[in-house]
Amino acid sequence: MKNKEEEYKEIFLAEAMSNFEEINRVLTQLEKTPGDKNTVHALFRITHTLKGNAAGMGFTGIAEMAHVLEDLFGEVRDGRISLDENMFASVFKGVDTLGNLVNAVKDNSEVKYKGIKTKLDVLLKRAKEDSKNTSHTVQESFQSFHAEAEVESDDSNAPETSATPELNNQVSFSDLVQVPVRKLDNLLNLVGELIIEKDRILAAQAGKGLRSNEYARLSRISSDLQYSVMDVRLVQVGFLFNKFHRVVRDAATSEKKNVMLKLEGTETEIDRNVLQVISDSMIHLIRNCVGHGIEEPEERIAAGKPKDGVITLSARSETDAVHIEISDDGRGLNYERIKQKAIAKKLITAEDAEKLTREDLSMLIFEPGFSTMETVTSIAGRGVGMDVVKRMLDSIGGTIRVASSEGQGTVMLLTMPSSMAVKASLLFELEREVYAIPLAYTESVISLYKSDIHMAGGGLVATHLGKNFAVVFLKDIFRSPSDTAAQSANTLQNTFAKIHPEEKLEIVIVSFNNRKVGIVVDKLLQQKEIVEKPLMRPVDKVKFISGVTILGSGNVCLVMNIPHLLNFIFGFSAGNKAARNFTLN
Amino acid sequence: MSDVKTSEAPAKAQRTLQIVVFKLGQEEYGLQIDQIKEVVITPTITRMPQTPPYIKGVANIRGNVIAIFDLEERFNLTRTQKEGNKYTLVVESEDVKLGLLVSEVPNTISVNPSDLDESVSIINDASTESNYIKGIIKSRDRLIILIDIFKVIDYEMSESIKKTVGAS
Repeated sequence: MKNKEEEYKEIFLAEAMSNFEEINRVLTQLEKTPGDKNTVHALFRITHTLKGNAAGMGFTGIAEMAHVLEDLFGEVRDGRISLDENMFASVFKGVDTLGNLVNAVKDNSEVKYKGIKTKLDVLLKRAKEDSKNTSHTVQESFQSFHAEAEVESDDSNAPETSATPELNNQVSFSDLVQVPVRKLDNLLNLVGELIIEKDRILAAQAGKGLRSNEYARLSRISSDLQYSVMDVRLVQVGFLFNKFHRVVRDAATSEKKNVMLKLEGTETEIDRNVLQVISDSMIHLIRNCVGHGIEEPEERIAAGKPKDGVITLSARSETDAVHIEISDDGRGLNYERIKQKAIAKKLITAEDAEKLTREDLSMLIFEPGFSTMETVTSIAGRGVGMDVVKRMLDSIGGTIRVASSEGQGTVMLLTMPSSMAVKASLLFELEREVYAIPLAYTESVISLYKSDIHMAGGGLVATHLGKNFAVVFLKDIFRSPSDTAAQSANTLQNTFAKIHPEEKLEIVIVSFNNRKVGIVVDKLLQQKEIVEKPLMRPVDKVKFISGVTILGSGNVCLVMNIPHLLNFIFGFSAGNKAARNFTLN
Repeated sequence: MSDVKTSEAPAKAQRTLQIVVFKLGQEEYGLQIDQIKEVVITPTITRMPQTPPYIKGVANIRGNVIAIFDLEERFNLTRTQKEGNKYTLVVESEDVKLGLLVSEVPNTISVNPSDLDESVSIINDASTESNYIKGIIKSRDRLIILIDIFKVIDYEMSESIKKTVGAS
């Protein structure tokens, strides 16, 4: 296997080659339909991307060349340069040189590019000088005409190069193959099937009492295959992070702030689908950093900080989780404001607010409709978003934590699975059906007697290792229709009331976001790595179940959606509380 | 003889309709053959929480986990046999795939399009307001109710969306 450096180079090359081909295609199109804004925009965008990538990889030649082309297309886009035949010749030559530079990366050969670059620079400079003299419109048109004439003369001075056609005769192939994600998904699905089938065979063999190492090779190969396919789906977070330079720049410009973006750990790998899911959330968080976190330059100077705010994105992987940290050196969270806002919005009561720790207060910003910003700006302050971020992370089994110190900045830590495919899970039985809980949510498994559990108000509580936690019977939850408004006070005690006093109960303690609940199940089965599949229509609306997996027996096992379950349980008790308050008033 | 004629004539004039016929309650229902993927022996069904009673649960059919519907229960028909749902009719459209429980192996018949009466307006009670009945087929002395299964499903889904919106 090649080292990382080589791998990046390959990826860069593949991308650069496709950029180059795209430029050629679009440029040809532009030549046919000059003045088409969209094509110019496309050219600008592609060269910009290429420039960024090349600069990131340290290929200065490509970056410089792409930069000058980008500027040129920028001027064309803004109408300061109009492309005519001769201009096109120069631009094409420039693009070809760019292609040569890209190819040269492969075999480390030298390509001369200064000549054409200087020429394009000259063209650009002229155009810029023109644009300065825009006070008289009549003169402007004359000037541009004049400039064009000059360009022409400049071009005729330059010796025509015969290199261009030769270059185009060569067709180069990239060592990388681009594969649609859809195909990869399908492949992973098939591997999942294979694993399930393998499990089925192994289960059948174990039943017959044959030696299980008969199938050791099958097991090994299938698990190797699974990890290889998962590996193919991994991409570097850098691909996403690099896109944020622009996000930060745009947000900072519109807020009139000076912000720098620092990236760390860009080579950390994560499943492409996870990356896709979090990309919108990340944009949101970063914009929030610029909008809420970083102060105005004057304020920063007054606070004795450097004028430019710094946002740092850093990623690191840990066993099967990836942590992404978004930190800024801005003003930090204003806990007093959060408190007041939360009370004003009736999210918490004034007494509760005093008891909350800073961490609890930080979590309030993820409540729907919460925003401490007084004014609504274009990028932040609308009070939507943070709850969306939270929900997005919930959906993939990720978490978010916020730490902040006033005046020094805020750190947001996102933890998410590096792969969505395989989950270690705990299987249990409930009313003869098998369910799975991802181990990421299980805290411990205990068994208690009925006498250990106590009724507290409308719910149930138990104590384990000196800690109290709520207990619910999963049966009761599944039975209570989610949409009935009239919840009798002790729906959650139904099963509890019925069971025999000496019965021993199997309890799985699950936790999510510092909320802990013990759920009572019928029987605990085993721990197993499962390949979770999404629910298909029309049952995809079932919120308690996040997906399914197929067991060795061929039967379907439902995977519990713990975040939703906990939200439901706490929403349920909050609903009861609200109802009580209502009657009291 | 007249039967032979009717089955021959459309072959030349217009295409015959291929209908898969199965029994629900006391009546015969039909689906157009292109909506049906296969007929399998009903696998083990895993019940699912938060679903209406006519969704029996989900089952693994050739590696695909699909929802299993009981149309008798959906249409509030008298049950044929309690334990009789031995076969599952797998229906598939572009975006949804599901199984329908049937008590016996469905048979396929070819009908003349002119035997399909699409103009019948069936009077439904208001709660099941949806036009999933495409028409009535009169074939010899049989009466087959042709349904569009995906209309049934669409209706379910819009209902469940309403519910979730109402709940939140």
